[in-house]
Amino acid sequence: MIETIDASRCPACRTIVAPPASYCPHHPVAMEPVSLPGAGEIVSFTTLHSPPTGFKAPLHIALVELEGGARFVCHGAETRGLRIGSPVAIEAVDRVYYFSYLGVVDRARLFWRRAGHAGDRVNAIARSLAKRVWKG
Amino acid sequence: MLDVWVAGAAMTRVGKRTERLQDLMAEAAHGALRAAGVEAPDAIVVAAMNPEEFLGDGNFASNAASHLGFAQAPALRVETATSSGAAAFYAGFGLVAAGLRRAVLVVGGEKMTHLDTPRVSELISRSIDPYERSYGATMPALAGLVTRALMANGVGVRELAQVAVKNHANGLQNPLAHFRHAVTLDEVLESRMVADPLRLLHCCPISDGAAAVVLTARRAGVRVAGIGQGSDTLALRHRAALTSFKATQAAAREAFAMAGFGPERVDVAEIHDAFTPFELISLEDTGLVPPGKAGRATLDGETTLHGRLPVNPSGGLKARGHPLAATGLAQIVECVWQVTGRAEGRQTQARVALAHSIGGLATNNWVTLLTAA
Repeated sequence: MIETIDASRCPACRTIVAPPASYCPHHPVAMEPVSLPGAGEIVSFTTLHSPPTGFKAPLHIALVELEGGARFVCHGAETRGLRIGSPVAIEAVDRVYYFSYLGVVDRARLFWRRAGHAGDRVNAIARSLAKRVWKG
Repeated sequence: MLDVWVAGAAMTRVGKRTERLQDLMAEAAHGALRAAGVEAPDAIVVAAMNPEEFLGDGNFASNAASHLGFAQAPALRVETATSSGAAAFYAGFGLVAAGLRRAVLVVGGEKMTHLDTPRVSELISRSIDPYERSYGATMPALAGLVTRALMANGVGVRELAQVAVKNHANGLQNPLAHFRHAVTLDEVLESRMVADPLRLLHCCPISDGAAAVVLTARRAGVRVAGIGQGSDTLALRHRAALTSFKATQAAAREAFAMAGFGPERVDVAEIHDAFTPFELISLEDTGLVPPGKAGRATLDGETTLHGRLPVNPSGGLKARGHPLAATGLAQIVECVWQVTGRAEGRQTQARVALAHSIGGLATNNWVTLLTAA
């Protein structure tokens, strides 16, 4: 399911950070709340084979650039076929964010699997993907 | 600003040590004072990253000063995560340069090997942004993200591995190094995956040790020619670039501006290779190697002991070891020995040395330039 991700924007430099922060990392000014669609592009990813206490191996961690430019840290169920630049959707499970790789097949599967009960979110994915295509 | 001189330098053997941290610090501190011919310092700057949690000891400036036998000397502690040693050196430099003190003992150390690896990893991770940490991000995890981005820029697995091969070869020549064995390219390439694409032999070990220097206003054998600090966001996700560290670039600019010369004058460098890709990134960030050329320079042997620019003659964090707050000072100790002809078995022809230290995931970095008098 595609999420709306809470973020903050600096009124001075327009930097967007997620999750929200009180102050811009680059300016001592209060940030404004904004929401971002939970879809973006993989900036980098790794798999931890000896994760810290409280996490199970293998632990996939990705840095995702959301639309609007904010970078977001999240987990993933798997990294097979994943590349830097891969389009991903971000979803929350128990308030923890996961990325899912939006390969052609996955995109279709995601669409059909969720079409029945989360149509609004599928629409959000479709909109965000359409926007990507439209933006080239 | 007064000229500041390194009058004495000493460090302990790095590795698994059974002594208390205070005793390791005493060994390094008394060694540096002896080498400097200074009986008692005017002030002490202590670096320890996290003795509260590693050891359960707090108020550590007074703890160390009392243990060293200088309970009445003004002492303070400096902490900037894994660059604490370099930060303490900066504080000591500032005290002498400002004319506040004439002879300052700077001592740094860490004791970690008595805890198991997951616990040590967790304690080191405390220096990471809390949100990123809540996703299981450890230092190797963030370094893994950096490494994958670096490889997407064209850095190859052989280049990353060759840094480990070179630094282990140097450590073999250093009697104080944690690792005194060679590793082959194949051993590095086949070592266990830690944080994909980062493998075990790309990573520095967990070490105990201490290092110390004495800084004086009185002329001595080595001058602090330049020193600079650079900072960046605590959160990796708040940065636009993963494959270069702004904190190093700023520190290098400041240090070279103070010194009045450029990277071309540097003969030898100690670089913060907690992970081998960091050596490649940092060689470019400091300006010692042109952008995009560090991997090639490493494969071509330019950074070996006998190359154009020897890098990490001590073995670096990779082989000398990384006792956190000792490391920034251990690098400076090696630089002092290199420019004064006391790096037995691994001596380079050097008059100008650069030490580069990374705090956290490059949130608080230092570049220090030392020249032979």
